[in-house]
Amino acid sequence: MSLIKSLGASAVINVPATVTTTTHHHHCTHSFPFPSSPHHFPKLNTTVNGVSRRTITSVRTAVADVNSSDTVEKETESNKTYHFVVANAKFMLDEEEHFQEQLFERARLFKERNMEQDFWLVIEPKFLDKFPNITKRLKRPAVALVSTNGTWIKFMKLRLDRVLLESFEAASIEEALASNPANLEFEKPDKWVAPYPKYEYGWWDTFLPPTTQTQTQQV
Amino acid sequence: MALLKPVSKIGFSGAAITRTSSLPRRLPTVIRMSAAATAKGSGGGKSKKAIKETLLAPRFYTTDFDEMEQLFNVEMNKNLNEAEFEALLQEFKTDYNQTHFVRNKEFKEAADEMQGPLRQIFVEFLERSCTAEFSGFLLYKELGRRLKKTNPVVAEIFSLMSRDEARHAGFLNKGLSDFNLALDLGFLTKARKYTFFKPKFIFYATYLSEKIGYWRYITIYRHLKANPEYQCYPIFKYFENWCQDENRHGDFFSALMKAQPQFLNDWKAKLWARFFCLSVYVTMYLNDTQRTAFYEGIGLDTKEFDMHVIIETNRTTARIFPAVLDVENPEFKRKLDRMADINSKIIAIGESDDIPLVKNLKRVPHIAALVSELLAAYLMKPIESGSVDIAELDPQLVY
Repeated sequence: MSLIKSLGASAVINVPATVTTTTHHHHCTHSFPFPSSPHHFPKLNTTVNGVSRRTITSVRTAVADVNSSDTVEKETESNKTYHFVVANAKFMLDEEEHFQEQLFERARLFKERNMEQDFWLVIEPKFLDKFPNITKRLKRPAVALVSTNGTWIKFMKLRLDRVLLESFEAASIEEALASNPANLEFEKPDKWVAPYPKYEYGWWDTFLPPTTQTQTQQV
Repeated sequence: MALLKPVSKIGFSGAAITRTSSLPRRLPTVIRMSAAATAKGSGGGKSKKAIKETLLAPRFYTTDFDEMEQLFNVEMNKNLNEAEFEALLQEFKTDYNQTHFVRNKEFKEAADEMQGPLRQIFVEFLERSCTAEFSGFLLYKELGRRLKKTNPVVAEIFSLMSRDEARHAGFLNKGLSDFNLALDLGFLTKARKYTFFKPKFIFYATYLSEKIGYWRYITIYRHLKANPEYQCYPIFKYFENWCQDENRHGDFFSALMKAQPQFLNDWKAKLWARFFCLSVYVTMYLNDTQRTAFYEGIGLDTKEFDMHVIIETNRTTARIFPAVLDVENPEFKRKLDRMADINSKIIAIGESDDIPLVKNLKRVPHIAALVSELLAAYLMKPIESGSVDIAELDPQLVY
């Protein structure tokens, strides 16, 4: 497999369908925070590579909207679909150690290929309030893996299995990744029989959205 | 498939590869597999060794490709979760390890420093691992070829997995070159015996071997990271990234099984799931307890290492198999230990000077004891398990 082909593959899937007009804007989303969430906007929950019939329709509508008004166009640029899998914090951060490896592996890849990070861990995300069907089945505190790359989140669902998958739209990255303060405490395992030490508490810090990192410090 | 992949790595010590003794050691030696050597020499009568090897040597697999084509025909199978396979395909296309397998001069230096029995152990380790990876390459490559028409997505994933396996095998074979050896992979392809497995058994067996492979690699890697004084060969430093490939391969088989719920949802599936878990775990345990020198050489207690790998693999496997073994029950380990003891006795008989008939007679009670232990382990109360996507184990399940 050529370098170009694989780069293409991973780059393309990171671009939400709305950004078909311009590939670069989605990286800058956080610098255009729009206060209101445009709910009238068609739901775009599949990325370019996992094209389904429904997505194609959505894309068309989106493009039409973009052309119709400047205001909508700006909103479109900042309005993105965020996909997530969520489970209790103990499962996500303490028990499933391969998850740590995967996140670091992906971070390494993004760095090697100069790609902007599009995945985060969110502790006690605020967006959960929109999903009563999830929260009623969720132990707290909860941790979500959030990404604009729905295809990858789908894969992560397959890997982690004991997680719930959903998606939502947000006007800004800050809004999407906002979280409530939470205190994470994991009991030490009764007997640690592995011939190596456990990954250290706090390994996930580097994957928290920058704003949350400050918030938790303040708390 | 994984390094030290247990399914294909079943074998008593020394069964894997024979070196033609007439060749001087210091010259580059092309290793041909013992099964092939046996085939060549079969005119002279079958040796004991040949019997052992057909049972326990690293295996190459083949399957019913027509049935595979039917299973993955999108029109015939409505359970195929295309989004899931697309997601997997993207993950494999991403090719995380594209630039990972680059050697440096540490390899040759480490190989030159290794002398005596440790050198022998490492050569065997590289040979077996290379063969295992290569067997994965052959199977996945063929599946990629055969499924191209009926299911291009699944076919491409198989091809990308064969890319990974080829990379792993090639890397190990280069490691062998530091010891002035090389596996003749072309010859292997033609000369090895292929073990036939029905597709559903391929799924169970390869799923387990990929996942157990992941746990073996990562355990060795993390152990050596914590105890660098045992880092005697640089290949272990590559394990962390390497084994993520194994883990992803396992995920693919997980998706394949989910697409074939008939392999997961009835009582027969549960019996098979337990059978494959047991075969893979026991095989690894017996295999490794015969090679304690290797594990001790890198600072591991063989049995503790194996139990850790078994427990973690079982925990992972419980995300997809409808039933798994209760490996954390101390009785399970006691049974494994008894099997390992019996196995040692059987091997000792084989190595004795008795005539073949006497050897066989002496083996009978031990084999009976082994079978009885296996059966008892198989019949231990299992743990119900499975993916939450297939059967909601409990509608009240809390995440």
